[in-house]
Order: sequence, then C-alpha cells, then structure tokens
Amino acid sequence: MSLVTDSPVHSSSSDDFAALLDAELEVGSSGSSPDEEDVEADGDNNNDNNDDHDDDDDLDSQRNKRCKTEKLEDLEESRGSTSQGLIEDKIVIHAELSLKKDICTHPGSFGQMCILCGQRLDDESGVTFGYIHKGLRLGNDEIVRLRSTDMKNLLRHKKLYLVLDLDHTLLNSTQLMHLTPDEEYLKGQSDSLQDVSRGSLFMLDFMHMMTKLRPFVRTFLKEASEMFEMYIYTMGDRPYALEMAKLLDPRREYFSDRVISRDDGTQKHQKGLDVVLGQESAVVILDDTENAWMKHKDNLILMERYHYFASSCHQFGYKCKSLSQLKSDESEPDGALASVLKALRQIHHMFFDELDCNLASRDVRQVLKTVQEEVLKGCKIVFSHVFPTNFPAESHPLWKMAEQLGATCSTETDLSVTHVVSTDAGTEKSRWAVKEKKFLVHPRWIEATNYLWQKQPEENFPVSQGKNQ
Amino acid sequence: MFFHIVLERNMQLHPRHFGRNLRENLVSKLMKDVEGTCSGRHGFVVAITGIENVGKGLIRDGTGFVTFPVKYQCVVFRPFKGEVLEAVVTMVNKMGFFAEAGPVQIFVSNHLIPDDMEFQSGDMPNYTTSDGSVKIQKDSEVRLKIIGTRVDATEIFCIGTIKDDFLGVINDPTTA
Repeated sequence: MSLVTDSPVHSSSSDDFAALLDAELEVGSSGSSPDEEDVEADGDNNNDNNDDHDDDDDLDSQRNKRCKTEKLEDLEESRGSTSQGLIEDKIVIHAELSLKKDICTHPGSFGQMCILCGQRLDDESGVTFGYIHKGLRLGNDEIVRLRSTDMKNLLRHKKLYLVLDLDHTLLNSTQLMHLTPDEEYLKGQSDSLQDVSRGSLFMLDFMHMMTKLRPFVRTFLKEASEMFEMYIYTMGDRPYALEMAKLLDPRREYFSDRVISRDDGTQKHQKGLDVVLGQESAVVILDDTENAWMKHKDNLILMERYHYFASSCHQFGYKCKSLSQLKSDESEPDGALASVLKALRQIHHMFFDELDCNLASRDVRQVLKTVQEEVLKGCKIVFSHVFPTNFPAESHPLWKMAEQLGATCSTETDLSVTHVVSTDAGTEKSRWAVKEKKFLVHPRWIEATNYLWQKQPEENFPVSQGKNQ
Repeated sequence: MFFHIVLERNMQLHPRHFGRNLRENLVSKLMKDVEGTCSGRHGFVVAITGIENVGKGLIRDGTGFVTFPVKYQCVVFRPFKGEVLEAVVTMVNKMGFFAEAGPVQIFVSNHLIPDDMEFQSGDMPNYTTSDGSVKIQKDSEVRLKIIGTRVDATEIFCIGTIKDDFLGVINDPTTA
C-alpha cells in the first residue's frame, strides 16, 4: 500500500538543469543560493574584476556581492603577501567607490522589486498605485519628485489637474432591479453600446445597471481636457469605474490610465490626493460629497447632485419625483456642468494670465477662493427666520456659505443691506425689505448661487407667506 | 531565455477516462494543467512538445483515482537578471513604461530611461529625445536589459533598463 503525493515530482534531470543554469549565468534565482559560486568565480579571475572596475554598467547587485568577496580577499591578501600591493590599492579604492554607489534609495517597487536596482524589497512603505499597474508602489520622495517634474511639464502646457467624481457629478447609475414601474420605459430608450460616444442613457446588462450621463458632460469633458489633466476618482469599485470611463471616454483621450476607484485609496470612506500624481496646489476637485475630501476642502468645487433615477432620489431621502419619472432632464446649456465649466475657465484664466507671481508659486486653492468671492461681492445679507433662535448665526452653514461667496453677513438691517434671506415673508425684516425695495429671497438662492458659481436671478426665489401670518 | 527541457509530473486521472483513449486523455489533461503556468525554478511553460514516458499508475486509496508519473518535454521561458530581451511597450506614463515579453511584465522606471528622453503627456503619452528622432510609446518594440526578476504562480515580474549601450527602441509603430 503506498500513498502518492499530488505535487509534481522534481526529477533529478530538472534539478541538474537549474543548477547548470545558475552556474552558467551567475545569477541569483529566487530558489537557489549563488553566492558560493560567485566567490569561486571572483577568486579565480581577480584581474578580470579589476578590468571590469571601469565598467559603470555593471549591475548593482552583482557589485554588492563582489564588494563583499573582494573585501574578504583583501584581508586575506594583506595578511599573506605584499607583492600585490598595487592591485590591492586598486581593489580597495574600487570597493569604496562602489560601496557609495550601492546605496540605492529604493524609490519605489514593482512586484516587490526596487524599480532602480532590481533588488527584492519586502517592506511595505510608500503608496500603492494599483490603478496604474498591478504591483506598483512608490515611496514618498519619489512621489514628490514625480509631482514636481510633472508640474513643470504641465504648466508649460498651460494645464492644471482636475479630479472628477462619477456618481451624481458626471452621471447617475441605478441597479436594474431598483427601477420603479414608471421608469420601465427607459429600457426601451437606452442607447446602443456600439457607438457610445453619441448616447447618454445606457443599459449595462452584464453589470445589471443602467447609467445616465449628465447633460452637457461630453462638451464639458472636451473643453475641460484642454485646460486640465483629468482624473476620475470614484467611491465605486474598480470594474464599475473602468466601465464608466469607457462610456465617458470611449476613445481614451481624456483619462487614459488615470482612473482611481475606492480599491486604490489609502483610507476607507475618504478620497485623498495622495494617490494623485499632481501637486496639491494645482488640483481642482469636482465632487458632490464634501465629506469625502476632508483634507482637501480648499481644492473642492462642490457640485449639485445629479439625480436622474428614482432610486437615487430615494437614497438621499427626497420624496419628490425623479427626472426620469417626470420624463425630463437637467438643462443642457444652463445645467450644473455648464456653469461649473464657466467657473473652471475663469479659474484657469486667472491662474495663468492674471497672477503676477512666478508660475511655480501660484496656488489654485487661492484662485478658487478669489473666484468664489467674486460671486456675491458687494452683497450684504441679513437672515431672517432662517436660523433657530439662540443658534450662533456665524457658525451656520448658510452664513459661512454666503461669506465664502464674498457677501457680508449681518444680523441687523440697515440701509447698506442688499438682500434679506428669509423663509417667511411675514417677519419684521422681510416686511422691511419689501418696504425699502431690497431683495427678499429664499435661502435656496444662496445654495443655488453656491452650486452654479454665479449670482442667480433673485425673482426666481420668492419667499412665501408663513403659516402663522 | 527559452529552454527545451524534460519535466516530470504526477497526473491524477479519474477512472472514467480509462480505456483505449487513456493516453490521449492523460496528455490533454497535462497540457491543460501545465501550459501557461509558472514556476520559480523553470519559469513559464510555453508548450508541451512531447511525452517521454508514462510510468505505471498507482491507485489512490479510497478514491479510485490513479496517479501516473509522466515525463514530458516542454519549452519553458524564463527571464534572467542581466539578460537582454525584446519586449512590446504596453503603457507609458510619467513613472516610466511597462512592457510585455509574452507572459512577462517588465517595468522600466524613468530613472532607467536615458536622460535625454523626456516624457510627453497627451492622448498618446511617450518618451522622446529632444530632436524627436527616437520615441517610445504604446506598441513600440524595445530592447531592454533585465535587472531584477520575480516569478509568481501565474505571473513573472521584471525590472528592466534601457540606459545602456545598444538598448532602446528597435521598431517604432508610427514609422512601420
């Protein structure tokens, strides 16, 4: 009775073969230990090594081994004979030189090997760049170096970086099973996947999903790509991100390999610019979720969420009918993407053409702030019936938002006030506004202005009479 | 480097494959199991070229499976440190470029690209010399030297360099 193992047997012939190879090539393979052979080889032809010394192209790791063996030999030789003094000196000098050269900083790794010297690295330092290629990892110094060289390159082309979110910013997706009965008609209207560049509504059966691109997105990407190097950064998983990139950029001219998904981030539930190979002072982010970018709020342009499907409205707690149910859509020429493109153009123009300081020291975050402050410049806003009583008005999101947009906020009415923001037309301040012919607007006016980056027509945001009046 | 070698493997076969086609079944299973796999020692098994001999089968206790020791000839491919290899560029970016030689993935960092070649971004990113005469982009064929290898179960990773004499582009897709 004999039990046979499953594993493949290494016959003696294959062992011989491998040993032969290793000996022939003097190279360390993962499984064998070639050091002994190296010692022998080096011992045999010491003079040959001296000739090689000038050869800079010698492999670093081989050098390493040689150094060790040479040092050993040095010791032995100096003990033994003095007749070889000249050669010894040479060896010592070379050993010192090559030792200096041997110190590789290991700027990054690919498949756990140093990208510079090919040595095996086991420590897991640095940031993984799985979205660029499997097994690629870069150290912090290397990232800094790449960023600064890339920055120069980019500025020469008059470009900045733009990081784009997918869901609710550029498009809206839903699971097929979450379609409501009154959305079933969409299935018949979806565009062909053969020529993606024309359609905007796609049914991805293999992913059980339906995706609607935001109106204007094609023009947006085309025009933005002339001013920015663009990244996709989504909280979706990698296959989804790649599929959406294919819909948005079928010819791969905008994003190429710059598609980052949640699998590539370094922190859970957070997006970070650490995996983006761009200097933070030149990155603009478009996203609908402020909380995802805790560390980079200054780079962020907040987008109004695009809800096309009912499930998406539902997810965020809106009770109203979705765009798909109403069989309508966001306006193409006046939608969120069109207005944000205007803002981006302005930022780009200001960054490159209006700032005086030298190009490298400019900061797009500063520009972003300046452009934003232009929006409501000169407005003086008084709030009425907006904040709960006893709430510190200065820390309310609306107050802060208005200040970010360049307006001055006040708690008291006076003649310099231009806008009264109120939820109730019956309050004292609201009536004062009507009497003094000041604008009386709903708080949504500030929100809309914030999203669209331009002052909205006040008459579109009337204030209704309160219930108690 | 390619090698034609003899390897041995214990093949398990279910009794339903017995009969006059036993040998064919054994060989086709062997091909399915072995071709395309990697081992750290021999590298990537490209193809089985012949069967040297099939040993006596042993019945495994309890299962009825029979194990045959099979000696077979095959072509293997294994990159070595210091070897010069020709590869096709698959991706170019600011960190350097990736190239493929069959199943082998090679990365050439921009530290190991000659200093006179500069990265150009755009829809077809590339490394170009200042006079524009040499260009490395996707689908270019390059000759490179391997300075580090690592063999996984299914993949082989390599680090390469083209910063050396007689290395670099050997065929430009745009001029071909």
